[in-house]
Amino acid sequence: MEGRASATIGLNSEHQLTTEAEIVLEARDLARTYRRGNEEIHAVNGVSLTVRRGEFISCTGPSGSGKTTLLNLLGCLDNPNAGELHLAGRSIFGQGNTLGERRLTRIRRELFGYVFQSFNLIPTLTVRENVLLPLAFYRKPGLEGEADKLLTQLGLGHRLHHLPGQISGGEMQRVAIARALINRPQILLADEPTGNLDTKRTDEIGEVLRDLNRNTGLTLIMVTHNPRIAGLAGRIVEMRDGRIYEG
Amino acid sequence: MILSRCRGLAVALLACVLVCAVASVPSFAATGCDLNNPDRDVPRIFPGSTRYVAKYRSPTPTELAAIVAQLDERFRAIYDPLSVPYTIYEIYRGDEKMGYIHGVNQKGQFGGLQVFVALDLAGTVRSFYIQKMVGRSVAKFRDGQFGKAFIGISLKDFQKYDPVAGKGSGPLAAIANPAPDMETDFYGVLRALKKNLVLMDVFVFSAARKQQ
Amino acid sequence: MTRFRIAYRNLQRKKTRTLLTLGGIALSAWVLVSLLGFNRGYENALNRDVDNLGYQLMVMAKGCPYEAATMMLQGGTGFRYINETWLDSLRADPEIAGVTPILMQAYFDPNAGENGGIVGYFGVEAASFPAMKPFLRFHQGGWFGNGNAAEAVMGFEAAELEQRKVGDRILVPEKNVELTVVGILERTGTQDDGIIFVPLRKLQEIAGTNKITTVGIKVKHDGDTAALERRLYQLPDVQVVSFSQVKQTIMKLIATARVMVLAIATIALLIAMAGVANTILMSVLERLPEIGVLKTMGAMPGDIFALVWMETLILCTGGGIAGIGLSFALARATAAWVRRILPYAPRGGLVEIDLGMAGATLAVIVGVGLISGLLPAWKAARVRPLDSIRSIN
Repeated sequence: MEGRASATIGLNSEHQLTTEAEIVLEARDLARTYRRGNEEIHAVNGVSLTVRRGEFISCTGPSGSGKTTLLNLLGCLDNPNAGELHLAGRSIFGQGNTLGERRLTRIRRELFGYVFQSFNLIPTLTVRENVLLPLAFYRKPGLEGEADKLLTQLGLGHRLHHLPGQISGGEMQRVAIARALINRPQILLADEPTGNLDTKRTDEIGEVLRDLNRNTGLTLIMVTHNPRIAGLAGRIVEMRDGRIYEG
Repeated sequence: MILSRCRGLAVALLACVLVCAVASVPSFAATGCDLNNPDRDVPRIFPGSTRYVAKYRSPTPTELAAIVAQLDERFRAIYDPLSVPYTIYEIYRGDEKMGYIHGVNQKGQFGGLQVFVALDLAGTVRSFYIQKMVGRSVAKFRDGQFGKAFIGISLKDFQKYDPVAGKGSGPLAAIANPAPDMETDFYGVLRALKKNLVLMDVFVFSAARKQQ
Repeated sequence: MTRFRIAYRNLQRKKTRTLLTLGGIALSAWVLVSLLGFNRGYENALNRDVDNLGYQLMVMAKGCPYEAATMMLQGGTGFRYINETWLDSLRADPEIAGVTPILMQAYFDPNAGENGGIVGYFGVEAASFPAMKPFLRFHQGGWFGNGNAAEAVMGFEAAELEQRKVGDRILVPEKNVELTVVGILERTGTQDDGIIFVPLRKLQEIAGTNKITTVGIKVKHDGDTAALERRLYQLPDVQVVSFSQVKQTIMKLIATARVMVLAIATIALLIAMAGVANTILMSVLERLPEIGVLKTMGAMPGDIFALVWMETLILCTGGGIAGIGLSFALARATAAWVRRILPYAPRGGLVEIDLGMAGATLAVIVGVGLISGLLPAWKAARVRPLDSIRSIN
């Protein structure tokens, strides 16, 4: 029987969101265009978005609206064709400069944590080892012992030595979340984190993300189809035809 | 069924024992004593002969036991085990058998001795020939005088004379050593003669006696 | 969490495939080590057999009989002598492994048979002659104590004829010199069976000369016998007798065998490495989404390259060690099998494997394996996280 996520997550105290919270991410007129044969598809078409520290933003919209493309641009997984992106005050994309893969990787590992629809855990590594995996490539100082703490706080203290094949979908996604948090990212990006889960597990993960945001002040940008989960966020933006609409 | 199995096992075991016994025998080549040139030597050693037939004879186990019984263990040399084939020349005048010529190897002081005797049909020495000998005074053994001393000697003369000890009586004791500096070889010649006569007695004359 | 552990665990995902690949590498390693061991063992065994042929060349003054039979037929005459100073120039020749001086003499014994006979003597150096004829074994005793000793070593048939054993004495005819038998050789089936060997200095003393008749020459294993012979032929008043044809043929056999062995071993290795490359490449293609996610976690292209290359390293090292262990364990069986199928197999061990060879083979397997793993590792390093994430979705 899987455990429920703890009500308090992380070491930080509750963080009050104010309009004066610093801007951690600013996108201006981002655009991303793909070619499909002779056709040009404007997946993201002049999107501007400002994200402050501690915000929990849901990005919703129908399939093909450009949500994931936007998330990929914001998360430095892709280069835009136009527009600017500033992260923590630093200009990342803009003035026509294109960043190479190595540079993008350095930025990503400093600032971002990623959670995907498919959990993408390594099946031959235990839960604990999966969470520690990012530290094999990049480690911020002072993170010794963080894995066990995170897993315990996410209700997986009893699953440390289990393999992914031995735990449920909801538990696997919690492991993926812990893995995404091991290097203390500034922003957690989640692309359809509940897409492969049943209703009960979906609600659990939704609560986990909400509690993360509330209790640790973690900035969270989530793409989701699910309106109930979207509603857990403090701010909802809608994408349609590559443009953003904020209600 | 059980009996036949036991028999089969016994045969197999016996075969193994025989194989081991044969395998443990030193595999020296035959070192029989042959005349260097029998066509030349036979008429000289056995005057009156017109032809010869060379026959090769290996002792049967019974014969080997008889030979060993008559010879001292010290007769055996490392290169001439008694079980090797021996060459016996049967001497004929026409179709009439006259006698035999037979030679043996014996150890001498500086080399091997090859001692041949011509025997009549009764086994008595008719002539004596040293084909090979090594030493400073060999000529004294190979001149005709020394060899003549052995004419008329037969195996029974060795019943009264021990060539190993060099003591006894009878015609053998009367034969003088022509070369005092080759005393070892002198007694070696006597031992070779005894061996020669014993072998011929076992191979030829005892069988002849039985037939009579 | 180390890269080694990640790579090791990755290999455990498809155990059957990993085991099959390991098995392929192990087999190729076994073949490679066994063949290299056979190469060395066969060559060493052949060299031993060639060594046992004795010296390959004899140099003597023109007209001198070099065979005991010829010497006997000529009545022990016809000797031509050469100076021992020749030896120094021969020793300096780069193709020559060793030289031994020999003095041949023959004396007439009037009491050996009705018309007498010739007794042949070889004056040899105990220091150098036995090394030239390592196949000579003693039935009794051993070689002379010193160069001037009044001693003799007899060939088997010579001792048999004279009924000699160690400790007995012989008399040199004509010269009336007594020698003590200190050794009797086992039968060789060569002319040495009828020869009496005497210390060189002693025979020179008996013969009243300070010269020699013959020089036996042993050529180095990799020496150019033909070139050496050509040089020796240029020497004045000298005849050269060569027994090298046999050795030449045998050495050609070795060279041919070596090329074949290495070709087979190389093919086996390449096949195994193709298997490694295929396995790793398949593994990478199956894990593209995962590799993309690793990059989102902060793995640089170099990290991914190293991770995948590490898998290759583990496979090749593990398979190599297993195969080498197999070759050690099966060395005897391999040698027995090879001996059965070869038309000619020299005596002695045919497969010689040691740790040095095993280490070198492992290094080759790992090295070639790492080369074969370059492509999959490079492909993995080039994966764009976005492409793999799209494939996930």
